[in-house]
Amino acid sequence: MYELVRVAPYVWEIPRDARADMRVPARVLADETLLDAIRSDRSLEQLQNVCTLPGIVDAALAMPDIHQGYGFPVGGVAATEVPDGVVSPGGVGYDINCGVRLLTCPLTEHELGGRREPLVHEISRAIPAGAGKDSFLELSGDTFDAVLREGPRALVRDHGFGTEDDIAHTESQGCLPGAEPRMVSERARTRGSGQLGTLGSGNHFVELQAVDQIFDAETARAFALTKGQVTVLIHSGSRGLGHQVCTDYVKRMDAAMSRYGIVLPDRQLACAPQSSPEGQAYLGALAAAANFAWANRHMIAHAVRGAIARVLGDAAAASTRQLYDVAHNVAKIERHGDRDVCVHRKGATRSLPAGSSDIPEAFSEVGQPLFIPGSMGTSSYVLAGEPGSLELSFGSACHGAGRQMSRTGARKRVTGAHLRHELEQQGIVVRCASNRGLAEEAPFAYKDVERVVNVVHEAGLARRVARLVPLGVVKG
Amino acid sequence: MTVNWVEHTGEVELVIEGPSAPDVLGEAADAIASLLVDHLQGTPSEREIEISASDRPALLVAWLDELVYLAETDGFAPERVVEISCSERSAKATIEGRVGRPTYLIKAVTYHHLAFEPCGDRWKGRVVLDV
Repeated sequence: MYELVRVAPYVWEIPRDARADMRVPARVLADETLLDAIRSDRSLEQLQNVCTLPGIVDAALAMPDIHQGYGFPVGGVAATEVPDGVVSPGGVGYDINCGVRLLTCPLTEHELGGRREPLVHEISRAIPAGAGKDSFLELSGDTFDAVLREGPRALVRDHGFGTEDDIAHTESQGCLPGAEPRMVSERARTRGSGQLGTLGSGNHFVELQAVDQIFDAETARAFALTKGQVTVLIHSGSRGLGHQVCTDYVKRMDAAMSRYGIVLPDRQLACAPQSSPEGQAYLGALAAAANFAWANRHMIAHAVRGAIARVLGDAAAASTRQLYDVAHNVAKIERHGDRDVCVHRKGATRSLPAGSSDIPEAFSEVGQPLFIPGSMGTSSYVLAGEPGSLELSFGSACHGAGRQMSRTGARKRVTGAHLRHELEQQGIVVRCASNRGLAEEAPFAYKDVERVVNVVHEAGLARRVARLVPLGVVKG
Repeated sequence: MTVNWVEHTGEVELVIEGPSAPDVLGEAADAIASLLVDHLQGTPSEREIEISASDRPALLVAWLDELVYLAETDGFAPERVVEISCSERSAKATIEGRVGRPTYLIKAVTYHHLAFEPCGDRWKGRVVLDV
């Protein structure tokens, strides 16, 4: 059981003494309406479980889009001491470095005109989606290791895909240090070998959008965003390779925990000290999988540019820029205050303010761009990191609207065919191979993105810069 | 046999009850197939599976992990468990299925809320899948 105490206008706390095994309090960033939704599933119980991790510091945190997951709730953030606090593969999740990347195109929605549907169609043809291993770049041996070690940099240097500018506009320059390809199992390599540049399924998508509203003109200028401009938002992760890395290390840590005297309320939180052989091996494999994910989104962006070239011309493709790419399932060693900590973000996005060292020079005076996608048929937001994130959430903000309804619940309420028709009536072009998959991602299955973004803005985690509205969507 | 899909906001939770541990594993394979494809199609094929785990609940995870792996790497969707035997920490089975292109992906099998145990005179398995 728990009691929530309001400690700031948008911050609620479950005190440390709410449960005997909690080492720190749990804090939730939300308003009253979101809190009602959050209370309706088991996410707060899961957040309290996170508070039991050895070495956790300050508090376990929930972003406004929190919902029930496994082990960690989705939208959970936890920082652990370095080097002897634990690292938990379940605290990152199976889709290691799932994230979003925003491309900005050199034309407006009006200028796109009737080429909207052909462009969405061409993007859907260019990017393999769903199950399968249809990458046109089959990785093996040294080329596979190079991608795992260096991420997209290996693709630019060795294959000529994408640009150095893309890399500069990627969180951590698309490469987590310390990647150890030899810590990635053969099983993981087999799953990932034909999947570079593929979307996957579930909630992954490529969305064609237009900038509908600018809230912060100065920051929008720094982000080179203008009203009416066409953008492309890409959401995918490390595909089967990352799924298998997490599977391998949850199993390994589950077996090792007793050796370190660790007892937890949920096996999925399986963990080991970062300094242990298991912790070191996982951190090496995690970095490799994260680099693979950045390489995957890099290749998807390359395919999007190819589609733009075929529909809009080479000049439009060449002028399509990457605004930024942010991870939302990752663990990173970061400096907060006067200490290094291992920040686990499970369905949460890094949100660094102006003046931070680990963001591109072009954004140093306005803060890091981050993106909060809504659902199909609703708006997405571009925001900029604010100092409140460093005070409240280890430099984090939320990663989406957050589910509020199960997949089966969504399918009971709408058929994929009906939803497709509804979206098309709104002028949104839809490409999705599966009606079941489409229904599961229905807009009403998600929380109100406007409300979620409002909490992020008002709590000072990040500020609104621009709103994007969907023109077309390719669903995984 | 009873198979229930429990409401879960983010993922999919499966609860199966049956007369024996092998029956629960067999039914779990059918449930996986229903998640992978709307209609089984493709070339008939057969797979031998042999797994081991640290304890009985982890055996259920290992069993489903193997099916997820076969689906993603071979396009294999299970249709019928022809033969299966299991002990507390290992299982061996022959499965008939179809090799094609599964429509949906299962990312992983989790240890969250995991159970695989006797329940009165029956057996019960419970597992959350990341989809």
